[in-house]
Amino acid sequence: MNRQEILSELKKVLTPYTENKEMLDGINEETDLIKDLKINSANLVDIIIDAESQYNIEIDFDAAEKMYNVGNCIDVIAEKINKTA
Amino acid sequence: MISAGNDIVALKAVDLQRTGLPAFYSKFITKAEFALHEHSALPFTTFVWLLWSIKESAYKYFKQLDIGLMFSPSKIIVEQLTLSDQKQSNNLQCDLPIETCFTGVVIQNDTSIYFRSVINADFAATTIDSGKVYWGIKSIAKSDYKTQSDAVRLLALKALGDIVTSDDLWIDKHPAGGYPILMHGHHVVDIPLSFAHHGNFISYSFQIP
Repeated sequence: MNRQEILSELKKVLTPYTENKEMLDGINEETDLIKDLKINSANLVDIIIDAESQYNIEIDFDAAEKMYNVGNCIDVIAEKINKTA
Repeated sequence: MISAGNDIVALKAVDLQRTGLPAFYSKFITKAEFALHEHSALPFTTFVWLLWSIKESAYKYFKQLDIGLMFSPSKIIVEQLTLSDQKQSNNLQCDLPIETCFTGVVIQNDTSIYFRSVINADFAATTIDSGKVYWGIKSIAKSDYKTQSDAVRLLALKALGDIVTSDDLWIDKHPAGGYPILMHGHHVVDIPLSFAHHGNFISYSFQIP
């Protein structure tokens, strides 16, 4: 998967957790999950679990802490996908 | 420097079935912290979210002291969790029933701080309890982000108005850290603030120097 494909799938993961659907349509690698998408921090673990399921990967503690914006999420997911490939 | 940190979790707004899965809670609760559950007398899922609220509160507290800090809940360790009889305190403004109260110690990077948590069937709320801390909890009718955000600012300003004698207080956002800052006109007031909202609950915490 390239970064654009990961981003496209990531939108589906994030959809249930943001009420800012307009912002979600226009997300880019700089978009902050909490500040921009107004995702409640209590849903961060849900997003990690859903991402694990969506991409068939496992995201550990250390990787999860980097997932504060979309670009970092893509970095972590791409790295994990490459490791399992 | 002083700081502030708090959090609230609306227990009816979370997926309790998922909360009970090891794949979920093991993302942020360490094996050593599991031992705290036995003496907490809480349902396991409530315990999980209590620990989340403690860790998030600690993160917010330390973030105001180190803007570059990243949230890594597995590295914020709840070291001590003690049932407390003191369900109400002079500095807690809450008109909702409180069933259980805890105090304890949380550690990040060898720095330990005290916290206080209150729980009922609907929420688990925590504030870092360092210095002269004031905090408040309130339920609101709507749970959209704007309603939550406006309501928590209003509630905090009302509480601050009882302590700081000024009619020109307002709340801004720290440009780099994103956390709330108290303003008087164009000047930052040295009273660190923290806000939390989830579902139909809002909570503030601030520390008076």
